Amino acid sequence: MTTPSASRAALTVFAKEIIDALRDRRTLAVVLVSSVLLAPLVLIALSGFIASFEARAEKREVYVAGLEHAPSLQNYFERQTYVVKPAPANFEAQLRSSAFGDPVLRVLPDFEAALLRGESPSVEVISDSANKQAESGVARLQRLLAGYSRERASLSLALRGVSSELLEPLQVEERDLASTQTRAAQITGMLPFFVIMAVLYGALNAALDTTAGERERGSLEPLLMNPSERVALVLGKWGAVASLSMAIAVLSCFSFLPAQWLLRSDTLQALFQFGLREAWLFLVLLMPFAAALSALLMAVAIRCKSFKEAQANSTVVILGVSLLPLVTVFNQSGESPWHLWVPALAQYTLMTRVLKGEAFSATQVAVPLCVCLLLTALGIALVARMMKTAAIK
Amino acid sequence: MIVIDHVAKQFVAPRARRSAWSLRRAPAAVVKAVQDLSFSAADGRITGLLGPNGAGKTTTLRMLAGLIAPDAGRLSVDGIDVVARPRETLARMGVLSDARGLYPRLTARENIVYYGLLQGLSRDAAHARADALAQMLEMRPLLERRTDGFSQGERMKTALARALVHDPPHIVLDEPTNGLDVLATRGLRDALRHLRTPEGGAKCIVFSTHIMSEVERLCDDVVVVSHGRSVASGTVAELLARTGESDFEEAFVKLAFAQERGVAA
Repeated sequence: MTTPSASRAALTVFAKEIIDALRDRRTLAVVLVSSVLLAPLVLIALSGFIASFEARAEKREVYVAGLEHAPSLQNYFERQTYVVKPAPANFEAQLRSSAFGDPVLRVLPDFEAALLRGESPSVEVISDSANKQAESGVARLQRLLAGYSRERASLSLALRGVSSELLEPLQVEERDLASTQTRAAQITGMLPFFVIMAVLYGALNAALDTTAGERERGSLEPLLMNPSERVALVLGKWGAVASLSMAIAVLSCFSFLPAQWLLRSDTLQALFQFGLREAWLFLVLLMPFAAALSALLMAVAIRCKSFKEAQANSTVVILGVSLLPLVTVFNQSGESPWHLWVPALAQYTLMTRVLKGEAFSATQVAVPLCVCLLLTALGIALVARMMKTAAIK
Repeated sequence: MIVIDHVAKQFVAPRARRSAWSLRRAPAAVVKAVQDLSFSAADGRITGLLGPNGAGKTTTLRMLAGLIAPDAGRLSVDGIDVVARPRETLARMGVLSDARGLYPRLTARENIVYYGLLQGLSRDAAHARADALAQMLEMRPLLERRTDGFSQGERMKTALARALVHDPPHIVLDEPTNGLDVLATRGLRDALRHLRTPEGGAKCIVFSTHIMSEVERLCDDVVVVSHGRSVASGTVAELLARTGESDFEEAFVKLAFAQERGVAA
């Protein structure tokens, strides 16, 4: 007639729930694919996209319609080491359907004659703003044309004995203050979001199964007829859910490390600096979040009689977790101190900082940590309180 | 020895809105599930709680398991108060409740051992008990199978083994034959008879049912429950003698529904 100690009961429940969850192979596979593989895959797809931009920029090709009307322009382009190619006949239709990925320069038949008469003939740079690849080449083409204009002008002035510097009273130089990591964060900014969702989906199924699922199966009532303390049972269950969620978080964070090697764009590879240090910092931020989220999901689900009902109810949590990080997108005033007090938003904000290579103080980590600990304690207490009434209804 | 002394329990039914748009709610309905129920079950005997559906049997057994606190009265197991020291009384009881859900992704053995560990047994002891119970309940071939896809009878055996894993001196069963076929019922009856004998441990067995034949065949003592009250108790022979009937079903109807018939007459 011995009754087990609370810690032993909690460990027993913990081990059983972990085995139970790991045997649910299909759910586990879906979670692994959707939350662990998805982020690196998106990153790799993105790198391919950027690589194609880079390749286009490196190609140094110019497409001209009516090339035969502008030998001097062709001469200039070729001196800039560009290859001049005639545009395809139906290039407008191709640009619209994104089949053609370069802007086209159209030259009118009397171009050279008008140029000689000093009438500044017009040329058209044709692109489609919905065609992202062609759009990215427009600025390059315009710079090339401006260079040609400048050369013509300075030649004309030189012939008349005027210094070409008069034409350029200003020397404009651009300096980008963003560090390489800040620039990369524009592209990699969605990674924290993916990791947060991975934590959520890691916890979701187990949280619902150990509470609402247990009610639906009718196994909660017999479970409570064991002489174990209720808090021990809840702690064991919560420990299992949180561990699964944390394991998914670890997998998700470390999956970026090998994903980096597969990046096809050299620029992105140089910009996306996600090393072991970043991975560990991510985990430090995510562990308490996983703990709080597990307790919260369990507290929501214990009120529900069936798994299905719990799924419907947990949508509120899922929606909150996925929408809160968007505050930083919509809020133009930038980071506010209150962001750190909101779970999900705080983790998103701090992880973005890690990616940008910015430092943050211990207090800035402590605030979300305390919020998460408080939420965890509240969730566990609520589940323990609800469990008895939930078992018999 | 289980003693239940004048327990009562009422529930407040959730209030329904009078109509979809009305903010006013109908007055709360109070359901008196158990009003005045007393009996005692001795060691080495099988005590049957016999009553129609809704008589308060399940509520009483849930109070005994400490899931619901009684409004009045006292429940004790071996003299230990259920409300004051629920964990000690639970350790002395094996309860097969109305809900007997198993974990479908665990094998029958894992289901049983899980409860053994929660009861404070060592892992080895829990495994040994699982083997011994499988022998007694004739479920050896089931032991290493996952419970997903078990038949009703197989589920019942697993749930019963799970409830008995810590070899408790008291066994409480809530309608254990529900959904069982003839063979499984016979098997269960044999197992309970064995547990009652000194070789089986002279257990104190309480089970609730609404099936007359079950009680006639198995029970040493019968408690007739109706409308939340214990209306009569004694052996089958005593109850027959008291009502002057030769058929136990007639005797039961007389005892359980005496009030209604009195009103009707």
